Amino acid sequence: MNDTVSLTIDGQPVEVPTGATIWDAARAIGIDIPVLCHSTRMRPVGVCRVCVVETGARNLQAACVRPCEQGMEVRTDTDKVERNRRMLLELLLGDYPEPSAREVTTGDDALLALARDYALETSRFHRAGGATEGRRDTSSPVIVVDHQACILCDRCIRGCDELQHNHVMTRSGKGATTHIAFDLDVPMGESTCVACGECQAVCPTGALTNRSLQGLRVVVEEERP
Amino acid sequence: MTGQSVSARVVNSVCPYCGVGCALSWVVDTANNRIVEARGRDGAANLGRLCVKGRYGFDYTTHAHRLARPLIRREQSYPKGALSWDDNGPHRPGGPVDPQTVLPHFREATWDEALERVGENLAGIREREGGDALAGFGSAKGSNEEAYLFQKLIRAGFGTNNVDHCTRLCHASSVAALLEGIGSGGVTNIVRDIARADVALITGCNPTENHPVAATFMKEAAANGTELLVVNTRRPAIADHAAMYLEIRPGSDVSFYNAMMHVIIREGLIDADFIATRTENFDALKATVADYPPESVAEFCGVEAGRITEAALRFGRAGAAMVFWGMGISQHTHGTDNARCLIALAMITGNTGRPGTGMHPLRGQNNVQGASDAGLIPMVFPDYQKVDDPDVRARFEALWGRPLSPTPGRTVTEITEGALEGAIRGMYILGENPFVSDPDVEKVRKALARLEFLVVQDIFLTETAEFADVILPGSAFAEKTGTVTNTDRRVQLGRQALRPPGEARQDWHIICQIAQRVGYPMEYADVAAVFDEFAGCTDSYASLNHTVLGDHGRWYPCPDPEHSEGEPIVFKDTFPRGRALLVPARQSPPVEATDAEYPLVLNTGRVLEHWHTGTMTRRSQVLHGLSPEGFVEIHPDDAAGHGIADGDWVEVASRRGSIRIRAQVRDRIARGSVFVPMHYREACANVLTHPAVDPDGKIPAFKYCAVRISRLAAKKSA
Ligand code: SF4
Repeated sequence: MNDTVSLTIDGQPVEVPTGATIWDAARAIGIDIPVLCHSTRMRPVGVCRVCVVETGARNLQAACVRPCEQGMEVRTDTDKVERNRRMLLELLLGDYPEPSAREVTTGDDALLALARDYALETSRFHRAGGATEGRRDTSSPVIVVDHQACILCDRCIRGCDELQHNHVMTRSGKGATTHIAFDLDVPMGESTCVACGECQAVCPTGALTNRSLQGLRVVVEEERP
Repeated sequence: MTGQSVSARVVNSVCPYCGVGCALSWVVDTANNRIVEARGRDGAANLGRLCVKGRYGFDYTTHAHRLARPLIRREQSYPKGALSWDDNGPHRPGGPVDPQTVLPHFREATWDEALERVGENLAGIREREGGDALAGFGSAKGSNEEAYLFQKLIRAGFGTNNVDHCTRLCHASSVAALLEGIGSGGVTNIVRDIARADVALITGCNPTENHPVAATFMKEAAANGTELLVVNTRRPAIADHAAMYLEIRPGSDVSFYNAMMHVIIREGLIDADFIATRTENFDALKATVADYPPESVAEFCGVEAGRITEAALRFGRAGAAMVFWGMGISQHTHGTDNARCLIALAMITGNTGRPGTGMHPLRGQNNVQGASDAGLIPMVFPDYQKVDDPDVRARFEALWGRPLSPTPGRTVTEITEGALEGAIRGMYILGENPFVSDPDVEKVRKALARLEFLVVQDIFLTETAEFADVILPGSAFAEKTGTVTNTDRRVQLGRQALRPPGEARQDWHIICQIAQRVGYPMEYADVAAVFDEFAGCTDSYASLNHTVLGDHGRWYPCPDPEHSEGEPIVFKDTFPRGRALLVPARQSPPVEATDAEYPLVLNTGRVLEHWHTGTMTRRSQVLHGLSPEGFVEIHPDDAAGHGIADGDWVEVASRRGSIRIRAQVRDRIARGSVFVPMHYREACANVLTHPAVDPDGKIPAFKYCAVRISRLAAKKSA
């Protein structure tokens, strides 16, 4: 087996170690593929699908989990890719709470940022009385949970399991009632959570946010080295 | 919905709490001089992770109790004594010292007046009684620069080696054993090296609470196949990830590890090459451990012989095995013996100098490694250079421009003794709170009250400050720039994010100003220049400076910091003392055996949310909210025997004193012992502890003394 594979991404040739994902390869040559569920600190799982790209295969492929192959010709910027991402984002934005607790406090809601990139102002997919509508859990002294803003990207679960190894979080329910849960689905403040805050730190949306920032609108003016 | 707009900047620094040394960034509200959020940064020790203290526990810096002006004790408040209430019980809320009870005894003063008074009194005692009548407690919470200046002032300005800090209370015995055995007190391998270990022995520590982010890497290694052997007297949560959890009886460590070595030698699992080329005294060790077959210690240790054997076989057969230990090993009157056994265990199996091997005494404070490196130790100058070595002394005399005392100074507990006897007349305490942290606080109280002059420099009115003549307001970690050295020997730069409140000043400035007033001027352009002088008189830090440390720091030693991260693994070919000395140890009796009157063993320690004497964490809203009050943990069987139910108020008493506290009935603690965290002044574990110390490390036996427990009458709980 060769140690590296060569491929092209948007026409640019690139050589990467065998096993590298398309997302990694694209990053190496400065091509930015959007992600929500993926983080370089965690194992990729490919659940949000906004990183889809064309590889010539029958389906679009999630770049964050798809390994590169020798001779692959990847396109990250076709109409089909853009259409798909836009639709995915619109679906994720369905029932998204207004305002997002992350956007109003620290201004870095990744879902809303991506929606702006794709010029999506509203979503057509709204359902009154959805399973998570208005479901908030304020039992933790440090973190506010807004289930309605959760896109089930599993970053918090991986943060808890695979970074901090606390194994408190999981998914619970099925279908439209699927939601993140603590222990056997008890309120966060009553669970075995040790308040390390990893879930809040890795959450890309307004689902898990820092309680002490409520009521503030933090704008970082200058980055100091 | 628009919130209050905060214009913020991001400052890269390091967590001020534990020895893991997590890199973080603070989001700082500049206009209001406060931190609004902490974010994990990609540091060598944490890879972006933080625990509850680092992430949410920074708000103590802006607490209303912060000292903001120099204070001088009022005439009518002599003779000195404790000023705040210190009892506890169902009728009293807990909490840190309430300034309202203490402040009326002090008046505000200008810096000039306060410093003048400090200089006059300390210099006066020095002139009248000689330098050895003075002493200083520095702190492992201060930076390397502060520690260096503090010991320089005490040694060159006061003329004594009576300078020590809380390392005496945590790892002095580990360091004594390591210096004796291999000639260096630092860790051999970094925490994250556990990923490359086949087996890791994790003993006498509770990393998920006390080194939480280090624990995440241990759990990660376990998930990837590293076998954890966890040994303790109180089941730590890391045991959930262990291949074996061995609950030993308190104080039986030496027997237990001798038995492990017995099996390893008997089964031929030693590394004969390593023993022959890199160690000495193996025969004496072998002869001693021959007396400790598992079968004969099993009952004493409370572990079946078969399980001791299995643990030994797992350790002995590992290609790479690592040993982590904490205060459960060191805080005993035979703490040095405990550490000697662990060192010997690693040596006879050839487990050092390679990936996934080595010895890692987990350091508690964020800068306990650095403060020791910088010379906050009575026997040594910076970098462990002995004060009684004439060549070394001549070098420091040339550097500091003063004759220096050739006599090793007093340790923490000896300074207390000295104050009681009247041999120590004046003290400078910077950032330590011996009133709550030292054993037998009744005795510490008497000693502090006897001092002719005490100056305390801190950020809050501590219990210790109540005994001060002058109190100087210093700065919190986030208010200053300086380096700290974590448990991995990683030197990292903490950057100033906030302004100190009111007239509070940077601590290194205050040290220099006191030096000036005692007639020993020390002047530096900035704190980086202090680091340069410190680094210049050590080998370990020689090539480092603030610029090269930058945002990510370096592991020392690091001869080429421009191109290298430094050494994550040391002693690959040789030890600083050449060959490692294997020192056999025999089981000794505890300092205070249990008896009919005091039938239980008291163990003390920490909880996840709090830090030491609680002066910081009990003033953090989140941390205090999560863990508001002290408790005594007791096994359900013992609780039943004493008629105690979960949540009952009880009295815990030893021969030295008693405290009132709520009981937590938990089966994770061994029968026959109880556990009290050290943080809560109103239920202060150290009222009970025994001041006897280890003969080599001079460390007190915080992990062992005899107590009794009784339920408080129900009518009191209102
Ligand atoms: S593990 Fe230690 S250094 Fe890291 S955030 Fe927690 S207290 Fe701070």
